Amino acid sequence: MAARTLPKTDVVIVGAGWTGLAVAKELSAEGQRCVILERGDYRHDAENFGGPEEHDELKYARHKGHMIDTPTKTLSFRNNTSETALPMRRLGSFLPGKGLGGAGIHWNGQLWRPLPSDLNMRTHYTERYGAEILDGMQVQDYGVSYEELEPHFDFFERVCGTAGQAGNVNGEQNDAGNIFEGPRSSEYPNPPMKHSPPQKIFRDTAASMGYHPFPMPSANVTAPYENPYGAQLHPCTYCGFCERFGCGYFAKADPIICIYDTFAEEDPIEIRYRSHVLRVEKSEDGQTATGVTYLDQNGEEVFQPADTVCLNSYALWNVHLMLVSGLGTPYDPETGEGTVGRNYAYQTIAAAGVFFNDEVWSNPFMGAGAMGMTIDDFNGDNFDHTDLGFVGGGYISANQTNGRPINYQPTPPGTPSWGAEWKQAVRENYLHHIGIVCHGSSMPVQGNYLDLDPTYTDDYGQPLLRMTFNFPENDRRMSEYLVGKAEEIARNMDNVRAVSTVNRAAEGDNYSIVPYQTTHNTGGAVMGTDPSTSVVNRYGQMWDHHNVFVFGACLFPQNLGYNPTGPLMGLAYWTIDALKNDYLQNPRPLMDA
Amino acid sequence: MPASFSRRAVLLGLGASGLAAGAPGRAAAQNAYANLEGTPWFYLTDAEARFLAAAGDVLIPEDDYPSASQVGVVDFIDLQLASPWGKGDGLYLKGPFPDGATNSQGYQMPYTPAELFRTAISRIEEAEGTALADLDAAGREDLITRLSEGEMDLGEDIGAAAFFQELHSIVNEGFFADPIYGGNKDYAAWDMIGFPGAHAYYLSFVDQNVPYEKPPMGIAHIPGTRRSASLGASAGAARPANRTEEG
Amino acid sequence: MRLTTKSVLLGLPVLFGAALAAPAQDMSEAPRVNELEARLNVDSTLFNATIDEEPSDDMLELGRLVAMGGAENGGSGMACVTCHGANGQGDGAGVFPRLAGLPGWYMYKQLEDYAEGTRPNRIMTGIAQRLTEDEREAVASYYAVVEAPWPGPQAAAPISGDQLQWGGQLAAVGSAEQGIPGCVNCHGPNGTGNPPSVPYLAGQYAEYMSHQLQLWREGTRQNDAMGVMETIASKMTDEDMRAVSAYYARVRPGLESVTPPAPMDDGEVAEIETETSDLLSDVD
Repeated sequence: MAARTLPKTDVVIVGAGWTGLAVAKELSAEGQRCVILERGDYRHDAENFGGPEEHDELKYARHKGHMIDTPTKTLSFRNNTSETALPMRRLGSFLPGKGLGGAGIHWNGQLWRPLPSDLNMRTHYTERYGAEILDGMQVQDYGVSYEELEPHFDFFERVCGTAGQAGNVNGEQNDAGNIFEGPRSSEYPNPPMKHSPPQKIFRDTAASMGYHPFPMPSANVTAPYENPYGAQLHPCTYCGFCERFGCGYFAKADPIICIYDTFAEEDPIEIRYRSHVLRVEKSEDGQTATGVTYLDQNGEEVFQPADTVCLNSYALWNVHLMLVSGLGTPYDPETGEGTVGRNYAYQTIAAAGVFFNDEVWSNPFMGAGAMGMTIDDFNGDNFDHTDLGFVGGGYISANQTNGRPINYQPTPPGTPSWGAEWKQAVRENYLHHIGIVCHGSSMPVQGNYLDLDPTYTDDYGQPLLRMTFNFPENDRRMSEYLVGKAEEIARNMDNVRAVSTVNRAAEGDNYSIVPYQTTHNTGGAVMGTDPSTSVVNRYGQMWDHHNVFVFGACLFPQNLGYNPTGPLMGLAYWTIDALKNDYLQNPRPLMDA
Repeated sequence: MPASFSRRAVLLGLGASGLAAGAPGRAAAQNAYANLEGTPWFYLTDAEARFLAAAGDVLIPEDDYPSASQVGVVDFIDLQLASPWGKGDGLYLKGPFPDGATNSQGYQMPYTPAELFRTAISRIEEAEGTALADLDAAGREDLITRLSEGEMDLGEDIGAAAFFQELHSIVNEGFFADPIYGGNKDYAAWDMIGFPGAHAYYLSFVDQNVPYEKPPMGIAHIPGTRRSASLGASAGAARPANRTEEG
Repeated sequence: MRLTTKSVLLGLPVLFGAALAAPAQDMSEAPRVNELEARLNVDSTLFNATIDEEPSDDMLELGRLVAMGGAENGGSGMACVTCHGANGQGDGAGVFPRLAGLPGWYMYKQLEDYAEGTRPNRIMTGIAQRLTEDEREAVASYYAVVEAPWPGPQAAAPISGDQLQWGGQLAAVGSAEQGIPGCVNCHGPNGTGNPPSVPYLAGQYAEYMSHQLQLWREGTRQNDAMGVMETIASKMTDEDMRAVSAYYARVRPGLESVTPPAPMDDGEVAEIETETSDLLSDVD
């Protein structure tokens, strides 16, 4: 137990990112005293993310200036249980954040909702195709429906000033938007982003092939905008420094400008920086948590008692915190029993590279994190999966996020990776290329999971989280299918000289923790209606400790074909709603186990 | 600073290809270590500097645009390896380092970047029985090719291909990174590809199908010139006045 | 009569005094076209002056003619040089902005916007409406290439050290409390401009700049893409506007046509000019 016990607070929140700040904003309005414990430092878009200094590719994109530093926080990794997991010694495949705003400051702003059928995936597929299509996969329903979450998706889209084109408002379809999306209660708050010449070609080509292109929904704001909390956002300048960077223009919605800045002096919110939470403490009867023990900024171990404990750190670290605290039952991949660490999933990424002749100028440095032209024809169950041999899918999108010169060196197939020929190819193609990403879902299987590493420890002496993951066969088939579609569109585009493809989940290739794919790690503390297969109930409340609420993508039973921020924030506001309107008046399990 | 030291002299000692090939005078005029000429290496030895210049110029040779060493990549690497990054900031280095690591598991060498470059270069030149810089152009290309394919024994704890990845990565970074870090002299790399730099505002142009031939401006661009201040030129020059460090 | 017109039309608290003496109308100051052509050898100057295509001799000649008040075809009916000076140095009182070296694309767009009313101004609207398309492009290119002496920080109206410090902070990092991004995000190195669409602030007259910020804030001027400046100005107080304008009036403007230094061959490093020394002279 900690040396010192602090005065009790109503709510303690672990992590000052999107979900943590939203919880503090909403619960403080109910009079709840909120203490936020943040591992990193204060930072602000104005003072810390301004150009031109922020536009430093080496510092932020290569050396990961805004992200977690692995010497203090990392995990170990292996592809399967027959291997020895080794530490992720530096960042690569995914980039968790650190500091005020968390990873929410260096996201791209691609802001999606799940499809209605994503949320009741097992029921939906079983009804349409029969249960055997899900054989070998631990696919589950979320336990909460699209209709229930819709107001919360809608609210978060307004918090971000989302730019997009609705495809379905209250059941009325609009071909200019995503006709596959679930019914929305309102239009997007801002008009869609502009698009580059290659994206317009993609749009026209996809449409001519019978697909349904639409502008990717974007939290890179397109007009002066005031959000529901009163925050003022500015129009995006298409500077091409979203992903891995903070936005000094106040144009990419992030937790600092959209939520933190709207905290009033008198709000009962306290943020403690450089505060590293070591564990959640449990009551003697084990029914509840009593608070959290953390290392404060002086390195002193202190105990913060609280009535309600909210876990709002990155998906992986929430799971880690449960495991080191003994919250819930750890998952055992041999028996399939236990739930904490179960259903870890990722994102299945493939892409087609399109190389144009000199008629088409992409000018890739002009871009934005969510400047995309997308088709959703092959996402979720928007297409018939009969006899395809897989479930799930993903969006296919011509994205122009950046032309950072170290990162962005497109060369056509067959080009060597260095030397004179490579140099010539980089020079010829840099201004005439776009990537078409296939952003595929990821299904849970018994052997993909999270637990504690037996050997390696972090800076605080705690065991590292251990990740065991490889791409399931289902997802490999799905990814191959998607990239085939993307390649087909690419080859039908005008003025194309060459097309390349890459598939991270290609048959025979193991998932690698080295090349960046996405910071979309999901699962490990999933939600549901059955305590034997979920850590939290449909409200994000732990089955085992009813005053512990869990937020973030760790709740996803399987990963969607969409970026997680929109879905997880919809879930966060859903949980907040349950806290505000039910739990806080009468603390108890909100569902019977 | 000791007048006797000359970075240029160290690197001009290179033989057949790379830096001094063809027109040593021109190369000398172009190379960026003039910025640091007279400043001893912050981390490298002369031999390591020559290895990196020769290797860098195999990876990014001179054509219509300068080679790696000509834009200051050796200075860049020297500064990087001397920096906190080179000393292992951001790298988890706790053991054990067991055998049998897979490629999927990434960097598993028990060295900081600075230690890795020192150890690997010395083992390469020991294994080959010659300095890279003493080989002719074909010999250099052959050595780097074998390194990249992992066909070289650098001891149990350094995979040749793994080291090549580090070498390739840092040379590429030095060539294309903002000139404040000592490479990409006079925006040579950005000119080559058409990247206009850190000062970005494209609202009126992003949807236009036209070339955009804006001369580059880096983070520490000197207005009215084609140049950036660089760490190599002056350690503090990269940071404009009035910028606060703390939030 | 000119003075009266100015103060009435612009609604500015014009400071009467020595600074308001009209600039000498000495046409010999206007650079010759061959001088301008030579400056286009510097690629950043060429980019700064290029609107649709690289400016030709003829275009620069026409631009020069328009600036002098003439034109083959239409003409503004008023010489630019009367108020903005032959070298585009502007008016010492700061009512008429410095034009020398502003991006041509930006100036061309301002002329269009004056004519169309998204940047209403009772003097400039009429002038811009009388110019033909070609004349707008030519005169914008012309002023993008010309150089003007900078009067220096001494010429700016006095301001307290605290205010100047605040202005510098707004310029560099904005204000987290007020939600204002720093000017340097968009306005180029030390505010020296980010062509083709973003004008320089460095060396611009404080009175002009703070007045423009007010016009953005009140919605009179609404001619930038997507309303970026309106949003920023809406978060600024009068005090902020005065402070940041006073700061930039003291920052040395970019010298777009400075010849690049010869390749370094003697190990010497060219001196780096920053605004710091210029700032010091006027801090009380």
